[in-house]
Amino acid sequence: MFSYEKKLQYPVKIKNPNPNLAKIILTQYGGPDGELGASLRYLSQRYSMPFDELKGLLTDIGTEELGHLEMIGAIVHQLTRNLKGNQMKDPAFAPYFVDHTAGVYPASAAGTPWSAATMAVKGDPITDLVEDMAAEQKARTTYDNILRISDDPDVNDVIKFLREREVVHFQRFGEAVQLLRDKLNQKNVYYMNPAIDI
Amino acid sequence: MQQKAREIPTGMGKLPAVAPLANPFVPFQVDNPEQYEANLGLVRGTLYPGLDLPFMGMVNKKPLPQSPMAELQALGFAVQELALYLDTHRDDAEALELYRRYQQLLRDKRQEYVRKCGPLSHRDQTTAPEYLWLNDPWPWEFSGNKEE
Repeated sequence: MFSYEKKLQYPVKIKNPNPNLAKIILTQYGGPDGELGASLRYLSQRYSMPFDELKGLLTDIGTEELGHLEMIGAIVHQLTRNLKGNQMKDPAFAPYFVDHTAGVYPASAAGTPWSAATMAVKGDPITDLVEDMAAEQKARTTYDNILRISDDPDVNDVIKFLREREVVHFQRFGEAVQLLRDKLNQKNVYYMNPAIDI
Repeated sequence: MQQKAREIPTGMGKLPAVAPLANPFVPFQVDNPEQYEANLGLVRGTLYPGLDLPFMGMVNKKPLPQSPMAELQALGFAVQELALYLDTHRDDAEALELYRRYQQLLRDKRQEYVRKCGPLSHRDQTTAPEYLWLNDPWPWEFSGNKEE
């Protein structure tokens, strides 16, 4: 089961509210390569993983991603606190404001609500782990792009932390594919689906 | 331009001659890799200098706030990072030993934190007459992380 710890993985303390930046950051809450999709992808894929290392890794990274979801939520919340009238009317933020006020809603920066269509659970461990490697790179690129756009140091310190986690997770998923291949012999890589055939 | 590209070192990511083709290949991180200490690890987002690859040289240099919460976050991070490493390196005895040392430090720091600042989860028993769980601030709030 899951139980809540009343702490963030990394401190989030944003001095200056900035709703336009919040809308950009929101994409890592509920966008196509965001933390909600990451956590659900790994925590859902783990059921069909055949070996202990793979079950453990997907559980541990999936759980960490839930912590990242909370950190992104904290950034968006702090960037949209104490809104003034002219900030609500800003054409970049008004369309979000009219639907969600200062609530945190899982959507992409362009406003598309989060969709399970942005992730996959194929039920074959090689296929799923390779998807996970790609997912970590897509999230890293998104964080790169946020760092190009944002000039708020309070936000960027947190983004740099989250971006580096993508690099570490990519390494671990790559190692997981190697481990899986070591457990199969070279002849039966792609010969069958290790999730259901061994 | 091509000349320049050839000068970029390829590092350790060499595909071994026996690796089967048409398979993704990421080399294993070597056993017992060099580590940052926990505080620097949390600032950088990894315990491992070998995986610390910032975007356009934007290195996070901001030190952690001096607070019981930040100490707890640093130790918790070290345990998490080592857990992921051990998930794919279960036979690395030195990493296992380090993981256990950080677990012990985390346990001690957590108990001290709960005594001073209140519960972190519903499993933390406190002796105050009132129900402390609901006390502000919550982690996502600007005044959060209980720095005071």
